Amino acid sequence: MGLLELKDTTIKFGGLVAVDSVNLRVNKGAIHALIGPNGAGKSTLFNLITGIYKPTSGNIHFEKKQIDGTPTFKLTSLGIARTFQNIRLFDDLTVADNVKIGTHVRTKQGLLGALTRFPTQNKEEKWITEKVKEELNFMKLYDKKDEFAKNLSYGDQRRLEIARALVSDPKIILLDEPAAGMNPQEKVTLMSLINLIRERGITVFLVEHDMKVVMGISDIVSVLDYGKKIAEGTPTEVKSNEDVIAAYLGAEYLKAHMN
Amino acid sequence: MELIQQLINGITLGSTYALIALGYTMVYGIVLLINFAHGEIFMFGAFAGLFIVTVLGISNLYLAILGAMVFSMGLGVLIEFIAYRPLRGSTRLSALISAIGVSIFLGSLMVLIRGANVTSFPRKELFTMKNIEFYGLSISNLQIAIILISAILMISLQLFVNYTKIGRAMRATSMDGDASILMGVNQNSIISITFAIGSGLAAAGGVLWGLNFSSIHPYMGLMAGLKAFAAAVLGGIGSIPGAMFGGVFLGVAETLGIAADLSKYKDAFAFAILIIVLLIRPTGLFGRKISKKV
Amino acid sequence: MKNLIPENYAVRFIFFLLSFVALYYFLKGLAFAINDNYILTILTYMAINTILALGLNLITGITGQLNLGHAAFMSIGAYTGALLTMKMNMPFGISILAAGIMAALIGVLIGYPILRLTGDYFAITTLGFAEIVRVLFNGMEFTNGAIGISGIPRHTNFSIAWSIAVLVIILMVWLNNSRNGRSYMAIRDNEIAAESMGINTSLFKIQSFAVGSFMGGVGGALLAHQISFIKPDMFGFMKSIELLMMVVMGGLGSIPGTILGASLLTMAPEALRVFADYKYLIYGSLLVVMMIFRPNGILGGVNLRQLLDFSVKKKNIERKNLSN
Repeated sequence: MGLLELKDTTIKFGGLVAVDSVNLRVNKGAIHALIGPNGAGKSTLFNLITGIYKPTSGNIHFEKKQIDGTPTFKLTSLGIARTFQNIRLFDDLTVADNVKIGTHVRTKQGLLGALTRFPTQNKEEKWITEKVKEELNFMKLYDKKDEFAKNLSYGDQRRLEIARALVSDPKIILLDEPAAGMNPQEKVTLMSLINLIRERGITVFLVEHDMKVVMGISDIVSVLDYGKKIAEGTPTEVKSNEDVIAAYLGAEYLKAHMN
Repeated sequence: MELIQQLINGITLGSTYALIALGYTMVYGIVLLINFAHGEIFMFGAFAGLFIVTVLGISNLYLAILGAMVFSMGLGVLIEFIAYRPLRGSTRLSALISAIGVSIFLGSLMVLIRGANVTSFPRKELFTMKNIEFYGLSISNLQIAIILISAILMISLQLFVNYTKIGRAMRATSMDGDASILMGVNQNSIISITFAIGSGLAAAGGVLWGLNFSSIHPYMGLMAGLKAFAAAVLGGIGSIPGAMFGGVFLGVAETLGIAADLSKYKDAFAFAILIIVLLIRPTGLFGRKISKKV
Repeated sequence: MKNLIPENYAVRFIFFLLSFVALYYFLKGLAFAINDNYILTILTYMAINTILALGLNLITGITGQLNLGHAAFMSIGAYTGALLTMKMNMPFGISILAAGIMAALIGVLIGYPILRLTGDYFAITTLGFAEIVRVLFNGMEFTNGAIGISGIPRHTNFSIAWSIAVLVIILMVWLNNSRNGRSYMAIRDNEIAAESMGINTSLFKIQSFAVGSFMGGVGGALLAHQISFIKPDMFGFMKSIELLMMVVMGGLGSIPGTILGASLLTMAPEALRVFADYKYLIYGSLLVVMMIFRPNGILGGVNLRQLLDFSVKKKNIERKNLSN
């Protein structure tokens, strides 16, 4: 069943077609990877799904509802959460506060609550604290909850971004190069974490360069090159696909080595 | 006729705004910072001109302008070195606050040196005023001189930016700072040169302002600076022809406003224009579109 | 300490109200004990500046939007309050409240379009707006133009100003530790990430701008009823910079820091002759020096609560060690 569907989605920046009529379906409960050479349009595709860009043509559906053109902040409450390729944490806030902000769409208290501290406000704060504790434990960051986000190690920052996204109770989580900058040990931990996220019933859609990670965890892999989807299938299928090899190694290389 | 008369007055005023606006636009184009102290550099330029004439006793218009320009160039480079360069890696908020600090420091420094009062500018010693009358219009040779000098300075700037090696490096830095470094551009010296040129033009504007109004004062930098900034935004920040156009437009609008007996509100025009432009067309009339990068 | 505050909300509210009344009478007693008009006046200014600076801190320090026109909201509050008290014989409390509401309303009106602008442009637009307000007050009839309004009843005093200041401080701390406060800080630290966390950034920016402006209005009205005389030039660019200086000095975003900054800068010109003479020269250089060497202010990055927690924990540990 398709949770997220892109239909002929296209975006142009001036003369450049960054994403070229891509049709793509992310099934519920899957771990779906999006790969492709640098500049293939992977992050742009993420930005399209999360409403940062609006497609020039075509559309995007989430749970059968058209979502392109919806402002970013509304998509989060529908159940789409994301992380960023170049980590975007709230640097001057603590780890716990970063994750607390992730509960924004699942909480309601407003200015009045904040200024009067009605019982409902206190109850909600307690709920937030509990929820944040759970998520930090899940991501093994609880012992660092009072540190400033900017002081964490690179790997911890990546995991904090995931924790912050997960706490918003998403139906799908979009991970933009989650393994970038991690050491081999951290990558192994990350792979098991992504599997655990799926076991929680959350669909995972990720962009990743590290083939070991992609091939190790994905159910389906889509390949993007020059903004076009050139292949899709299970990791084994994609690995042996000639177009994919050509895209990565260059058609010339392939020609030279065919004979 | 009245309208044409006001138009000429407006263009005279506007050409000084344009000279100041150029500095804002060039600096913003290269370091993405509103050089808040730019108005004070303009003010210091005017006082440098005064110093050259009254203290050094040099009563030559061109030498006074040149001297003021050289002085302000040094001041501009110094400000960049002390107050902006150490903050290049930090947030834009910090850099902007630092720039505001410099502006206030320089303004009050001049108050300490010269007092807060209006000082008369020795126009007579620099220029023999003659009014040219025709068809009921009264144009002074001073107005013509101001417009001509501004025009010459601006054309030289255009030629410099478009046809010299340094000018090309400046344009490259403004388009993509990191890439220009990779291409061997020394960013620090390009930034210094930009501050020097911008400050020099502002100083020339300062002397011309003194001539035009025959008086200067330590707080004139703030208002004139802000109006010139509005002009730069109107023309499109980062665009040199834009700054020229914006300056002249603003000068004309202000003069027409005063003529329409709205002089009580004259200081509000520039800001009203600024706010309207920012809301309707933030890139200004000649500006490049900047797309958000994620 | 926690056990002292009752669980039931109604009981807690009454408790809070009573401690407030107690505070007011305590301050009144204190004023009586100090019995020195000069000192009391300076302390009153300190309270007013604290309120004003906390409002600016909310906008600039916590939400990260550099506001160079806080004095304009102060003037809106000052004029609203003064005119209501003088022309309509409104009770002081209502004048103050109306002053705040007026400033907040205008804050929303102007904030709605300009908060879309980023960083520097927003800053310069607030400055432009403030100049427009000043020029308008200078030109209009009912504000008595450049001459200003004099003979405003002196309703503000030490105990009233500090009672309000304490209330504002408490509310600011509460706001800071709430869903709204966290949203403001998220916008400051990374607007794109904040948006992707589901925060309606424009809405929260306007909200913070409105609350901050409200405090600016209240502070302005208190000031008007303290010095009994206002004119547009009192609320120029330099006033906005002075308020910004208070926030920057103590630490952008830090509530204790802002209180410290407001207090120090209120006292400094009184205590140090040099400071009064070279006030703006010092402000200017301080702004540069602080940004380069101490961008987070004197107290920036110091979390008072953590410090307190720490000292409590330490005491507990010491106590445990003693009992062993």
